[in-house]
Amino acid sequence: MNPPSRHGPGGTPPPLPAHLAAPPPSETVFEVGGLSVFYGGHEAVRDVNMNIGARQITAMIGPSGCGKSTVLRCFNRMNDLLPDARVVGKVRYHNEDLYSREVDPIEVRRRIGMVFQKPNPFPKSVYDNIAYGPRVGGFRGNLDDLVEETLTHAALWDEVKDKLRTSALALSGGQQQRLCIARTIAVEPEVILMDEPCSSLDPIATAKIEDLMERLAQQFTIVVVTHNMQQAARVSERTAFFGSEIDRDGVRHGRLIELDETGTLFSNPSDHRTEDYISGRFG
Amino acid sequence: MTARPQRRRTAPGSPGFLRRSQSRWSERAVRVLLVAAALVSVLTTIGIVVALIPPAVEFFGKVDFGAFITGTDWSPLFEPPRFGVLPLVTATLVITVIALLVAVPLGLGAAVYLSEYAGHRVRGVFKPVLEVLAGIPTVVYGFFALRAITPFLQRSWPGGDPPEVFNALSAGFVMGIMIIPTIASLAEDSMAAVPRPLRDGAYALGSSRMQVSTRVVFPAALSGIVAAVVLGISRAIGETMIVAIAAGGRPNLTLNPLEGMQTMTAFIAAAGIGDLPTGSTGYQTIFAVGLLLFALTLVMNLISIRLVRRYREVYE
Repeated sequence: MNPPSRHGPGGTPPPLPAHLAAPPPSETVFEVGGLSVFYGGHEAVRDVNMNIGARQITAMIGPSGCGKSTVLRCFNRMNDLLPDARVVGKVRYHNEDLYSREVDPIEVRRRIGMVFQKPNPFPKSVYDNIAYGPRVGGFRGNLDDLVEETLTHAALWDEVKDKLRTSALALSGGQQQRLCIARTIAVEPEVILMDEPCSSLDPIATAKIEDLMERLAQQFTIVVVTHNMQQAARVSERTAFFGSEIDRDGVRHGRLIELDETGTLFSNPSDHRTEDYISGRFG
Repeated sequence: MTARPQRRRTAPGSPGFLRRSQSRWSERAVRVLLVAAALVSVLTTIGIVVALIPPAVEFFGKVDFGAFITGTDWSPLFEPPRFGVLPLVTATLVITVIALLVAVPLGLGAAVYLSEYAGHRVRGVFKPVLEVLAGIPTVVYGFFALRAITPFLQRSWPGGDPPEVFNALSAGFVMGIMIIPTIASLAEDSMAAVPRPLRDGAYALGSSRMQVSTRVVFPAALSGIVAAVVLGISRAIGETMIVAIAAGGRPNLTLNPLEGMQTMTAFIAAAGIGDLPTGSTGYQTIFAVGLLLFALTLVMNLISIRLVRRYREVYE
């Protein structure tokens, strides 16, 4: 193998669904303490405390506007790009404070990748989409090999191997989203954040993405925000339920209500609000 | 609750109940007015071209087109007249190139800064100021070149012969300054229109701001950027006042920007305000040069459309 790589030479890892495997000894990747995020003067989410374990899928569910995506965007400092966002509290990544002064957000994002709600491939060829991340990261190996390997890993190679030079925008929505996932793993991150990755896709495309997530979770830590409770139940090992609260001053803000093993959270939630939400009685 | 006044309507099912019940002449009148407004500019363009052609055709009846386009001596109003247009063409090109060397880097730099680096408060101040620069009359720029830039160059010339009083360098430089706002403003518009999710995707892969700007935003905005530069070039080729004032009125076949030279536009202006009798060869010269100017701009526009088709990245 010419380029240094963590994954095998173009081979697909055995498709063992991650949640069927015994959960690995829980190594903590993210530790979140007292996290609040403000947009301008508005507090979007308040006092979140949670841990996220390595090489498993953590789902974040809850109604719209309760701060799930906001919290997710704290994990790779995407909130830095919003001029009036302010983050208070601690987000530790392998015991390193992500928001400390010495931390370079670019280095953070090379290690913690992100997939967005709507597929957002660059208006470049399929090949250049995959090669983009390695190129800006100064990759010095054989790009052709890396592209093939990455696309194979993302189970997309067979579908696009004859279209490497055509525009990524010519792919279907589901393929575009898998391309975006492939583009993310091409830089060999440690964590993949996914912000409602299937919300614009049909059920078949969604199933393919879920398969892919389960395979990737053997190697990567995945945090996924989803509106689809079945999806959370299907793919994740742990689920965080976010809701919104109104404090004494009448200010509505998002809160983390409950975080537990996915099976426990769905079958035996400890908070009645979680139960109301998952059983369809909102509020 | 008070009853709302209702339009009288025929009962559903009665004959012709879905037909128009009000005349909408105002709708039609507005449409006619809007079409007329759109037609004015198209018809004007066609009109100008049509008006250029007959005198130019008459001119080329007397002067050989090959001699016109390749001739190196331009003195159409003297005896014996010479109709080699090359000195005017090279002057136009030399000054345009100088202007672009100034305006393209600075204009695109400003556009990238405003679109990708500046906060919205800075942009709120910068953009209007930039656009004021576009509103300064070109005669002011012309005198700025002649009375400020040229003396400055002559004083601080490092060695060799300093620029002449009338020279292409000052004219081109100041013309470049004049075009900056055009290029910066249009290029900024087209970069700002690149969808935010594309930038997010690039940042999430660990790109620096510079990489996002040059590798994602710039190619996606390319067609607008090229349009901005093309408009800049068109303004440079067509600019008259600055070159007439600062580059002088002497046809001069040279590529040396330190010398004075007369551009196509400067010739048209100079000849146009003189008292050439209508129908004389001198008078027709103006139209021949005008037609050439028009053709030059047209060819450049076509080339740039080709370039854009080939290299742009369509994001939607």
